[in-house]
Amino acid sequence: MEPLHLGVLLAGAWAILTLVFLHLNAKAYGKRTLYSKPAGDSVQGVVYAFTKGMAPWAKESVRMNLPSYAAGMVFHAGVFTAFGLLFAAIFGLELPPSLVFLARILTVGGVLGGFSLFGKRIFKPQLRGLSCPDDFVANLLSSLFVLLALTWTFSPALAGVWMSEAILLLVYAPLGKIRHCFFFFTTRYHLGAFFGRRGTFPPRA
Amino acid sequence: MPELDELESRLDALTEADFQQGLEVFRGKLKKAEASYLNSCVHCGLCASSCHYHRMDSTLENIPAHKLELISSVFKRNFTTMGRIAPGLVGAKPFDREMAKAWIDAVFGRCSLCGRCSINCTIGIALPKIFRAARAALGAMGLVPPDLQATVDNSLLHGNNMAVTKQDWVETVQWIEEELQLETGDPGAKLPLDKQGAKFLFTVNPREPKFFPLSLQASAKVFWAAKEDWTLASDGGWDLTNYGLFNCNDEQAGTITKHLVDAMARLGCKTLVIGECGHGYGAARWEGPEWLRKSYPFEVKSILELMDEYVRDGRIQLDPSKNTAPVTLHDPCNLVRHGGICEAQRRVLRKATTNFTEMTPNRVENFCCGGGGGQLAMARYKQRRIQSGGMKAEQIKASGAKVVVAPCHNCIDQLMELNKEYQLNVQIKTVAEMVAEALIPNP
Repeated sequence: MEPLHLGVLLAGAWAILTLVFLHLNAKAYGKRTLYSKPAGDSVQGVVYAFTKGMAPWAKESVRMNLPSYAAGMVFHAGVFTAFGLLFAAIFGLELPPSLVFLARILTVGGVLGGFSLFGKRIFKPQLRGLSCPDDFVANLLSSLFVLLALTWTFSPALAGVWMSEAILLLVYAPLGKIRHCFFFFTTRYHLGAFFGRRGTFPPRA
Repeated sequence: MPELDELESRLDALTEADFQQGLEVFRGKLKKAEASYLNSCVHCGLCASSCHYHRMDSTLENIPAHKLELISSVFKRNFTTMGRIAPGLVGAKPFDREMAKAWIDAVFGRCSLCGRCSINCTIGIALPKIFRAARAALGAMGLVPPDLQATVDNSLLHGNNMAVTKQDWVETVQWIEEELQLETGDPGAKLPLDKQGAKFLFTVNPREPKFFPLSLQASAKVFWAAKEDWTLASDGGWDLTNYGLFNCNDEQAGTITKHLVDAMARLGCKTLVIGECGHGYGAARWEGPEWLRKSYPFEVKSILELMDEYVRDGRIQLDPSKNTAPVTLHDPCNLVRHGGICEAQRRVLRKATTNFTEMTPNRVENFCCGGGGGQLAMARYKQRRIQSGGMKAEQIKASGAKVVVAPCHNCIDQLMELNKEYQLNVQIKTVAEMVAEALIPNP
């Protein structure tokens, strides 16, 4: 195995293990024992939180900010696609041209989404005020990763640069806000369970 | 403002031990859900538009994520490895005087704990849970705004938050009983006090005997029409409010909850009925058992649920033609979003009125009136409270309603101020008042 491939795999292992450690650390805070009688079903609340509750029309914040929401969605789609390409590159998988074409579209969207959100963070004073260096680093590392994945589909010779950047991204992921790739799920679970138990999720009307 | 000075003086006098105490209490309030929330915010800023404070004053300080960041920056600095190794990178900050001041401003002065940001957060962070932990920490440092704390102290000392004496309460109940008998023409119409073994113990907001006796009379009229077996408590246990929900001192909140639990035991009632009050319902129904760390041996219901049952079961008959003016409904955050009582009041109002219109948005997406979270008790933030209530005022205007129904006395207080400030020219009523108006006696 090539050293850079091994480096990516090791960085990936680091990311996963550190995220597991962070999860265990959060779990160590303990579970709240609840004594009030439930009015609804936590499980239904969780299901709602991960399905209809995530729909753009379920959130006013999304309905009012559709361009940002769309940028975020294509950015994330681009990141996931880039990881798919990375997997293929490391394990030498031959991708059919149609899949490469689709990957290019998704990564182009990801690059545009990522850098537009980066620009928004720089140029919108309130968003800039809300940000710390981690916000910029996380966005840049992710956007570059997608950009390099896109360029790799045209020029495999750039694999070295791309994989080096991927190592940086994977090493950094659990240290900063990219950890939301894991905590998004636990947070949404807790939100759904809370509002489900109270009979608020799923909305009845 | 002497009270402001008191808080400033306390800030100036804080010692290292106070900060440690605050951090310990904060840490103690965090469970795995909160730890997850504190690891999740991506600073997307999309929550801004969900906050009524930000909608009416779009400063950075009013963005929910900014308020959260003030707290999570301290969390990172004190409880995470990266916050200790690279504080500048991840935005970790020490808990010092400036930060404590910023926390006070954010969690007491710019948040009504309405939870609208939770529903709208792209990740799903239940921000009020974190804000409540921060309020508790500030409380441990003696940094609760004194007028809010005074409301809690009133409940602890007098058994109700307005320091109404037992004599005044009992006399008011007797007077309302006489009024009810006059209104119904039934000398048997009662407001029972301390009726042993009654099915329901009914609790009210002290604002009712103090300022809005007609509201209590309306509830009593509904019970009378339904021929209900109910009672009020003459001593501790008639006040449903619990501002411990807002100073976030669980011990004090638990002591206040115990007034209700003791009254239930003393009178041997089966169900505790909470009058029209959002935070009172939330405190008694949801938080009380958690504060006391035990399940109640009785059921808790809102009077809204009871009225809904009465209408459904035909125990009361309503003539909607008695309420023909355009009516809209305000959704109190603690009753609806955090309380899960969403449709009962709507079903009742549709039967009690001819012209019911929803506000937009409504139900889970409702806007806070601005009076929640203890805001009504904190004079220093009055201007912000009225300004943030502008969102609700816009909703009311857009509804075209002439009557705003609010099943919450705190909300009613705020709505009355908004009515004046924004010249809404509306009447503000409880659901029971609308039902009492539409009642067909002895059908």
